[in-house]
Amino acid sequence: MNILYLLIPLGLGMVALMVWAFFWAVKRGQFDDLQSPAVQILLDDDTRPVRNDRNPRDA
Amino acid sequence: MTTPPSELCFHCGNAVASGSAFAVCIDGTSHPVCCGGCEAAANLIVGQGLERFYEFRTAADQMPRYSRRNWPVYDRQEALRRYTRLRRDGERELSLQIEGMHCAACAWLIENSIRQLEGITDIQVNASSARAEVRFDPARVPLSRVLERIHTLGYQPQPLTFSAGGPVWMTERRTALKRLAVAGFGMMQVMTYAVSLYAGAMDGIAPDLAQLLRFVSLVVATPVVLYAAQPFFTAAWRGLRMRTLGMDLPVALSIGAAYVWSIWATLRGRGAVYFDSAVMFTFFLLLGRYIEMSMRHGFGLHHDAIARLLPESVMRISGLQAERVIPDELCSGDRVRILPGERVPADGEILSGRTDIDESMLTGESMPRPRAPGDSVIAGTLNLTGAVEVRIARVGQDSTLAAVSRLLERARASRPHVADVADRVAAWFVGGVLLLALLVGVYWLHADAARAFPTVLAVLVVTCPCALSLATPAALAAGTTRLAGLGLLVTRGRALEALARADRIVFDKTGTLTRGQPQVEEVRLLSGRATREQCIAAAAALERHSEHPIARAFDGAAAAAVIDVRSSPGRGVEGRVGETIHRIGRADYVHEICASQCAAALPEDARSRVFLGDVDGLLAEFVLKDGLRDDAVVAVQRLRALGLEPCIASGDRAPVVAEVARQLGGVPALGDMRAGDKVAFVRSLQDQGHIVAMVGDGVNDAPVLAGADVSVAIGSGTDLAKVSADVVLLGEALAPLGVGVETARRCMGVIRQNIGWAVLYNATAVPLAASGWLQPWMAAIGMSASSLLVVLNATRLLAERPPPGLTAVDPPANHAPRIAPA
Repeated sequence: MNILYLLIPLGLGMVALMVWAFFWAVKRGQFDDLQSPAVQILLDDDTRPVRNDRNPRDA
Repeated sequence: MTTPPSELCFHCGNAVASGSAFAVCIDGTSHPVCCGGCEAAANLIVGQGLERFYEFRTAADQMPRYSRRNWPVYDRQEALRRYTRLRRDGERELSLQIEGMHCAACAWLIENSIRQLEGITDIQVNASSARAEVRFDPARVPLSRVLERIHTLGYQPQPLTFSAGGPVWMTERRTALKRLAVAGFGMMQVMTYAVSLYAGAMDGIAPDLAQLLRFVSLVVATPVVLYAAQPFFTAAWRGLRMRTLGMDLPVALSIGAAYVWSIWATLRGRGAVYFDSAVMFTFFLLLGRYIEMSMRHGFGLHHDAIARLLPESVMRISGLQAERVIPDELCSGDRVRILPGERVPADGEILSGRTDIDESMLTGESMPRPRAPGDSVIAGTLNLTGAVEVRIARVGQDSTLAAVSRLLERARASRPHVADVADRVAAWFVGGVLLLALLVGVYWLHADAARAFPTVLAVLVVTCPCALSLATPAALAAGTTRLAGLGLLVTRGRALEALARADRIVFDKTGTLTRGQPQVEEVRLLSGRATREQCIAAAAALERHSEHPIARAFDGAAAAAVIDVRSSPGRGVEGRVGETIHRIGRADYVHEICASQCAAALPEDARSRVFLGDVDGLLAEFVLKDGLRDDAVVAVQRLRALGLEPCIASGDRAPVVAEVARQLGGVPALGDMRAGDKVAFVRSLQDQGHIVAMVGDGVNDAPVLAGADVSVAIGSGTDLAKVSADVVLLGEALAPLGVGVETARRCMGVIRQNIGWAVLYNATAVPLAASGWLQPWMAAIGMSASSLLVVLNATRLLAERPPPGLTAVDPPANHAPRIAPA
């Protein structure tokens, strides 16, 4: 059972890591908007938006 | 003149008059749009390569309204200082509230469109809160340019006064998430160790290994107790200082006692530890609170509502000079000129000029009021007819608008009855629990001192008000979720209880039972020169260039093409439709262009009638009326069948209110009520022992809404009312109200079952715990199992289907043309 003396502190370290990662994600605003990211993945694609001046009011 | 509609606008979904000159070209295909505003928005979107927006949006956009906006005022140093924050790298940060967003695609569109501007470093649009955070370089892109671009896309941006650390609700939510995570991760770990320890206690375990497990449990439990459970300790302490026994006290006591006792046991190296009970307890309670908080925050309910009633700029006059400033710069004593169509920036007194002021947002009065020199004007109201000079008397926190919102705060804080009763019951319950624990402790100290602490702890944990503080929110959350599916958004958990028990329902008339905006009720042709459809098309085209509330009556009708538009605020609009100049507006205004003096001694009741004419005379007369909502009669009948007696209390004139009451089948009705009268009326009903539900929409309703036992706001109403309401009806239909009441009652039924179960559980578990039969871990498992049962019971609410014939959420009303059939 001596392996537990290694495994338990190891587990503690992993928990600390998970908590840190979660805090980091919260701080970066990852949980602020749970609605739009689900749709944004459908919208974003590889084609870069083309910039042109078809609209004179906006040039 | 043009012919009847044939197609729908590509951008906003309204009807397009065939032959319309407006169109947008995508990949070589031309799509028709209804007006210049939609054309500008669609062209901007397509021109930037963002046309995929149209594939992914979930609802058609609102038609952009032409409005005179003075964006350059935001480039003043004062505006920059007030709304933005200077970063160390010289860039500025800005928060915007964006009106008109309806789905995630809108957020995508705004982000991608703004990002293409020079000088924008970053933009994040949050679809749930309708807020945008922008980082930009003011030297390369003026603030006005950003706002104007968003406006052109068809949204209304509103810069928010900069506050450090972001909005309060966001901080609150982030902190709650962090606490929940600490408690959750901690619980997983400690439970693992606890199971090993329990198993070891039965099957034998090496003493040093047991000590290691205890010590590690201590390490993991410490942040959970000190950080995650902190709200319970602070709340309990606050309660103690105010000399009340809150629900948090036994929670804080059991967590604290279990933790301290276990530390001592760990350090001594013998005795049982109860870290598992403490940590599990913390997690479950935090979870319940988090669910409740999410419901409270709702979506879009934290708008800076007051700021949005104020104009974005105002003409300040000093001596002979006039300059555009933002309202925040005004001081009392300043002189400002307010043009027709502008909102009043602050409370003041008219120095010169005469005008009509639309005060409906404050008084509910549907007709504008005449104002002359010496009269006072109120911030947030709309100047309709004439230019006036006003001396500012009160600004910011001193203004009437701020007072209304303070009144609201107070009414909300002193929300009586139900809350009181719940708190009193809780105090008795808590007192009883503490007394019981004390008695048990004293008894066991004499009988068997070693078993005293575990027994007391078991009693505290077993009687943990879990059923009351978690099982009730679980049922409420399930009920709320289901109601949201029906188009009823509950913003406060307590609202469901009051909704279930309500036996009186008070409607405000304007905008609640009625649509709150005029509809064309009748079209009378005054000459044979144009058909009905042609007249409507011309009127709709012209009125799109007007900001007068009456102009909204023509939204949704197919519009003809119009050029050379000139607007005379308060009088009407002129423009070239087809070959000839047309005018729409008051009779005298339209008459001015008639070559021949038309024979017309028409009644000068211009406010509910609009005339259309061209150079040859009058063409048509539109009779406008604020009509009942389509389902108002059915909804009221249904509520009656459910035992809710309806009545109307409105700020509108008594005859108008009486007419609405008659159409609804003889509902008791009171007219000419000011906000104070309504509060008194609601209170008198409450004094007679009735539970009152109040349905309203105006800002003037806000104090009344807050004073009622449960308040409902119509989603299309003003936002301040939304913020104060317990329940928000999304969409325009009233029918979900009845279903909402039924669901609320079923939800209360589930809560009663849950509480019944909890009482039964306590009644059996407490004697067991007190007699020392239950170990704290058994108590914790029993408590968790009972919670689980209660939560599963609550989920039954989710599964039930809506009754046949009721669709979930009604489609937005701006799709149906609002012109009544001839």
